[in-house]
Amino acid sequence: MAEIHLDPDVLSDLQEVMESEYPTLLDTFIEDSQERVAALRKAGGDAKTLGRIAHSFKGSSGNLGAVRLAQLCELLETEAVEAASDLGALVDQIDHEFALVKPLYECRSELAREKRQR
Amino acid sequence: MSALAPVLEALTILIAEDSAADRLLLSTIIRRQGHRVLTAGNGVEAVEIFAHERPQLVLMDALMPVMDGFEAARQIKQLAGEALVPIIFLTSLRESEALAQCLDAGGDDFLPKPYNPLILAAKINAMDRLRRLQATVLQQRDLIARHHEHLLHEQRAAKAVFDKVAHSGCINAAPNIRYLQSPYALFNGDLLLAAYTPSGDMHVLLGDFTGHGLPAAIGAMPLAEVFYGMTAKGYGLTQTLREMNAKLKRILPVDMFCCATLLCLSAQRRAVEVWNGGMPEGYVHEVATGRRTPLISRHLPLGVLSAEAFDDSTEVWPMALGDRVFLLSDGVLDTADANDQLFGAARLQQVFAANREPDRLFEDIEQALAAFRGQARDDVSMVEITLLSAPPLRVAEPMYADSGQSSPLDWSVSFEFRAQTLKNYNPLPYLLQLLLEVHGLREQGGALYSVMAELYSNALEHGVLGLDSALKRDAQGFAQYYRQRNERLAQLNSGYVRVHVQVAPTDQGGTMTLRVEDSGSGFDVDKELARPVDVDRLSGRGLSLVRQLSSAVSWSDGGRSVCVEFCWEALA
Amino acid sequence: MSVESEVSLDGKKLTIAIKGRFDFGSHQAFRDAYERFYKVPETYIVDLKETTYMDSSALGMLLLLRDHAGGEDAEVRVLNSNSDVRKILAISNFDKLFDIS
Repeated sequence: MAEIHLDPDVLSDLQEVMESEYPTLLDTFIEDSQERVAALRKAGGDAKTLGRIAHSFKGSSGNLGAVRLAQLCELLETEAVEAASDLGALVDQIDHEFALVKPLYECRSELAREKRQR
Repeated sequence: MSALAPVLEALTILIAEDSAADRLLLSTIIRRQGHRVLTAGNGVEAVEIFAHERPQLVLMDALMPVMDGFEAARQIKQLAGEALVPIIFLTSLRESEALAQCLDAGGDDFLPKPYNPLILAAKINAMDRLRRLQATVLQQRDLIARHHEHLLHEQRAAKAVFDKVAHSGCINAAPNIRYLQSPYALFNGDLLLAAYTPSGDMHVLLGDFTGHGLPAAIGAMPLAEVFYGMTAKGYGLTQTLREMNAKLKRILPVDMFCCATLLCLSAQRRAVEVWNGGMPEGYVHEVATGRRTPLISRHLPLGVLSAEAFDDSTEVWPMALGDRVFLLSDGVLDTADANDQLFGAARLQQVFAANREPDRLFEDIEQALAAFRGQARDDVSMVEITLLSAPPLRVAEPMYADSGQSSPLDWSVSFEFRAQTLKNYNPLPYLLQLLLEVHGLREQGGALYSVMAELYSNALEHGVLGLDSALKRDAQGFAQYYRQRNERLAQLNSGYVRVHVQVAPTDQGGTMTLRVEDSGSGFDVDKELARPVDVDRLSGRGLSLVRQLSSAVSWSDGGRSVCVEFCWEALA
Repeated sequence: MSVESEVSLDGKKLTIAIKGRFDFGSHQAFRDAYERFYKVPETYIVDLKETTYMDSSALGMLLLLRDHAGGEDAEVRVLNSNSDVRKILAISNFDKLFDIS
């Protein structure tokens, strides 16, 4: 699994599609994702709830180009069905990955706003 | 964005998606494609928004909190009813089972995440085409249903109007007519009319217009008017036929015409006169011998030939009281079985042969048709008329509107009808109309017409044409008699029939003297009057009828001149 | 049902052949068969060799053709009718208008 965190092509496509809404999209994603990470934490060992949140999280992070995050969510979704390994460890990894990409999104959002204001 | 498929028409699209980022992304993409966007964060919201806003298309996330996409899709499909509201599932589901679940719930297509704006636009356009196709189909279906309803309504109304016109004759009142018509036979072009002439003969028409539906029924109206109008005024079959043919030729398009059999049944003359143009063979059924004489189609249908080319020649067959005439439409013979075999004339003959009770003939035929095909057609018409002794003579009342104040009471008039006129003109209806101007004669209109008709045909046939009434002794001679009549009439180039009318007032009321003279060789009046009245003889009834109906009869000039008198009392 | 038409080489004779049922369903095809020719033929042949059935609207179509071909002066021949079809033509006495064989 290649260690790509953000896919720059996806992000530039998004910027093109969203135009002025681009920073809002990124902000919305950050906010939304924070809620999802919290929900994962709160779900504890409830495999079914973990799986459902992971599925949804996978969709939005895929759309936003967070490649590694989407991969981890998919892994959690699959593992949750089998309920075999330690799901807690995967949740930690997702939390960690999100913490890593969050500032990258924030930075891009900031840049895009500044660019528009100029 | 540039390379998007062109938007056909701006739609209102509902996006149901629980992820705010995805919702924002999709909304933006779709708005940029020119559509109006509604959004919902879960299934319950989606159903509510759908109910209020009726978007034309729905993008539905499968897994959502509160109510998932499957249930929401089901409810939306239910709300949408017959209209197609395409639902495209937004999903990263990979398992085929989950995809099948989307279809089960009413999903029409899928859009995988991450979204590709190009594919999304193409799918929306494709779904929109489907949606509009369905809308068009529904619209056309409803339109057809409305038209159909409308047509049925018109048919019912037209049938009601037509029944009044068509049945203004004696078809339902006459005790000697039985008929069977499928309820909407009229809309298959079948037409059945019957009416009495002033002298108590019965005219019957069974017609069949080309084509189906209203066009076929429309021609029936003028035909019925001519039939009733001319029959009531005393016109014979040939004049009535000419008028009907000319009228139909004038009003119908080239490819429409009316096959018809026209009958004149005369109890007084014990005969039926027939003209058949294009109808299947009917029959005269001689009850005593069981013989059935076919009434063969000799002519083109009505409305085909120009007035000059039209052939009005009729055939005359003798009938005894109780004998029957049977007519039918081609719906009977053309009833087809499952293998497209037609019922045909041969099978009809078998039914005739097997028929034991003449009164159950229709039922026998219906049974045979049902056994043959098992399903009734809507263009079956049959009619059977029995020759009964003449009904009381009368002239239809509604012809007169005045009170009699203007009645002419002191006048006379003379006519001479010469060869060329005698060939094809019947002066009787005109004379009757003239005489009925005299109010006091109206009561006796029927008797008057019968006497006039008898005297005129004696003068023409025995006088001018020199035909021997003794020929009419038997059926064979009867046919010969009418053949000779036609031949001699066609060759006629001299001779005359004169009619003198004198109307004079008396103390009590008035008197009308009618004198008919012919150019023939006369006859032995005393010998003729001395012959016993033989009710079953085909000839010789005429004179006794004349004596019975008029106040006084006298012959002169060696039988070449006859004079009758009608008297009336002043009206109160 | 099918309606085929063919003009002779000299353009003087138009033959219209009807296959199968000759009824209202053939109306447009039958009209097209004689109306589409720019040059007016002298003789019209209606070939019923492969006609299985004809109804009264088919008789109406023959009248239309006759009218198109000049009415009283029209030369329209009806050929090869089978016995069922001939019966229908006979009842209507169409032999008084058309040369039927």
